[in-house]
Amino acid sequence: MPIDIYWRIGTHGDQRSLRRRVASRGDWAPGEPGAITPGVRGGRGDGYSHLDHMADVARASELSGFVGGLLPSFPFTDDPWAAAASLARETTTYRFMIAYQPGFLHPVQAARMSASLQRVTGGRVVYNVISGGGGPPQLWWGDKVDHDDRYARTSEFLDVLKGVWDGGPFDYEGRFYRVEGAGLPGPLARQPFPEIYFSGSSPAAIRAAGRHADYYLSWLEPFEALAAKFAQVREHTEALGRAPRFAVRVDVLARETEEEAWDEIRRGWRHVDPARLRGPEATGDSVGWLRSSSFVGWPVTHYRELEAAPNVWGGFHLLRGGPAFGLVGSHAQVAARLDELIGIGVDAFILAGVPHLEEAYRVGERVLPLLRGHDLRDHSPISATRGTP
Amino acid sequence: MTEFIVTLPSRGDGARGDWGPPPASLPPFVTDLRYGVYGPFDHLAEAGRAAEIVGFDGALAPFDPGGEESVVVTSGLLRASRWLRGVAGLHPGVATPVYAAKVSASLQRFSGGRLDWRLSVDLDPAVARAQGDFVEGLDRYARADEFLTIAKGVWHEESYTYEGRFFHVLAGGFQEPLSSRPFPRVHLTGTSTEALDLSARHADVHVFDLGDDLDALTADLRGRAAVHRRAVAAGLTLPVLAREDGEEAAAEAARRAAAGAPPSGLVGSYEDVAEVIGDFAARGVTTFVLQAVPHIEETYRLGENLLPLLARTGPAGAPGTAETPGTAGAPDTAGTPDRSREHAHAD
Repeated sequence: MPIDIYWRIGTHGDQRSLRRRVASRGDWAPGEPGAITPGVRGGRGDGYSHLDHMADVARASELSGFVGGLLPSFPFTDDPWAAAASLARETTTYRFMIAYQPGFLHPVQAARMSASLQRVTGGRVVYNVISGGGGPPQLWWGDKVDHDDRYARTSEFLDVLKGVWDGGPFDYEGRFYRVEGAGLPGPLARQPFPEIYFSGSSPAAIRAAGRHADYYLSWLEPFEALAAKFAQVREHTEALGRAPRFAVRVDVLARETEEEAWDEIRRGWRHVDPARLRGPEATGDSVGWLRSSSFVGWPVTHYRELEAAPNVWGGFHLLRGGPAFGLVGSHAQVAARLDELIGIGVDAFILAGVPHLEEAYRVGERVLPLLRGHDLRDHSPISATRGTP
Repeated sequence: MTEFIVTLPSRGDGARGDWGPPPASLPPFVTDLRYGVYGPFDHLAEAGRAAEIVGFDGALAPFDPGGEESVVVTSGLLRASRWLRGVAGLHPGVATPVYAAKVSASLQRFSGGRLDWRLSVDLDPAVARAQGDFVEGLDRYARADEFLTIAKGVWHEESYTYEGRFFHVLAGGFQEPLSSRPFPRVHLTGTSTEALDLSARHADVHVFDLGDDLDALTADLRGRAAVHRRAVAAGLTLPVLAREDGEEAAAEAARRAAAGAPPSGLVGSYEDVAEVIGDFAARGVTTFVLQAVPHIEETYRLGENLLPLLARTGPAGAPGTAETPGTAGAPDTAGTPDRSREHAHAD
């Protein structure tokens, strides 16, 4: 199996760098001096929108060696289905990894949207199935279903989606969904089913992942913790006779030298609100978030205290929105850490860097070519099957 | 302003797309480079491009459970066009209203505010159940009402709470810039009192069918809308088969009927059809949803031969006299005849 490496496309603008947590791209910070706000030129509408910048990021990462892009979904972002459907005809090989919560679309509708999108793109749709972090954001979406039930719903949702995929007729009666004589119409029913990247760290998530995940997707954690998590997923899914692959979402800050990389962090750190150094505050019922805040001893005073392992830094959330852990180091160090991750069983990456456009080129051109990957994975089924057709 | 909307195919167009029999292949000795290069959406894209090039105001991607998915179709259409409005067919059972609004907010942002919704409320029961929709009877209108209420609520208010029978949301509501564009114009249909009441509360355009008792229904709708201090524009779905003269049109209609095609609706010369449209406009219709196949050829035909007649003579009393609800006037339309461009330019 080859290693699939994705990039992340910002669906809510971007910062100029990690040095200042100020929105500059997109219209989330209109009027900031120097901000690039697509759609406005000299104070007047110019016909462009943030989607045009997203198209740039998609093309940049396609050109620099990534197989596709993750389109995230949060209350404050643009929508991944809308973005993927809009950009579908503007890339060639690029896969669109659409993040979505199963509760918000009916599975038959999701199947039809996916199948039409597969037809537009020639089969380039990938799912990032998320089941929600709970708390006020979940209610913001109009979703009252609680944590474990959300995973049960996700599981039913995917049962129905898969049930109608080949054309049906398909009947289903579950706790959350019911259909009768359902099935995708003719030409829509002949599409490849999108690969599923499945997120969630709780036991309920791992149960649901066992049934449905092609890739079990985790945020980056210190590697031993990640390996233990994978082992837990593997143990659960082996009992079901399935073997999911593993994917990690990793922010990278890579420079020619390690000193340069840490200097970027140092410059960003100067602007972090000291109140946030006491520790992260949880907003919902996300188990992944609780895990990731447990790997370093809060409170902290210096940014290097958040380096949980060499080059594995847990402070990215202080410099931009999103998960805490990522890699900081020279191009070679970052490549070596990614190799180590391949060594513990990672089959796919979703990488990201700020700003997404320029960093896509840097990481694609300077880091990815240094990967050795399979050479380090001695006893894995991957190296065992190398050389076979 | 009178606006003209074409209807896009949801299940291909004859041998175009992959819904019908495959097109005749070229003889083997003729070089053919197409294999594997083109997909079904190339035809749809061409149909959308035709609509924009010939000067239609919008294109409707119908909600068709047995066809191509309309949000995906509309997204591509909007991305590939500059002026055209995209009318996306939707159904209240396919998504939560918050999510439908969220997807639409992005499409409005991406397109400069050119998205319309056409909400299907009552489906054939068997079709509905195959979509996972077991809501029946008048409840379907109650649900559509909640759907539109919540979708508009989260769009317009930063902290919006609604507890309904079908949907709910707690302290939802879009922040800037997601809410920076207008809510999609809402098209609704139907002749029942429930349908008219729903439109009175929510529609920007109510689209009637040829054969409906138009004068009575529009008067009824006007009265119901006035209760809510709203005005709802009247629209009309109009299948057309227009040719240079009536004889040619009739011959084509007969040929199609013999081939088993559905009835062609309004059949006649360009002048005849323009006159009928003018009459409808005089009776208050401001949105015409035209249906004509084959899509690309007929779109060009109507654009080149019918629309100019409507622009030159202008349907009696219609052009420039009424503002379509939910749209903003734009200065750059001053001096152009009839054909409204007011919502079109991506700003």
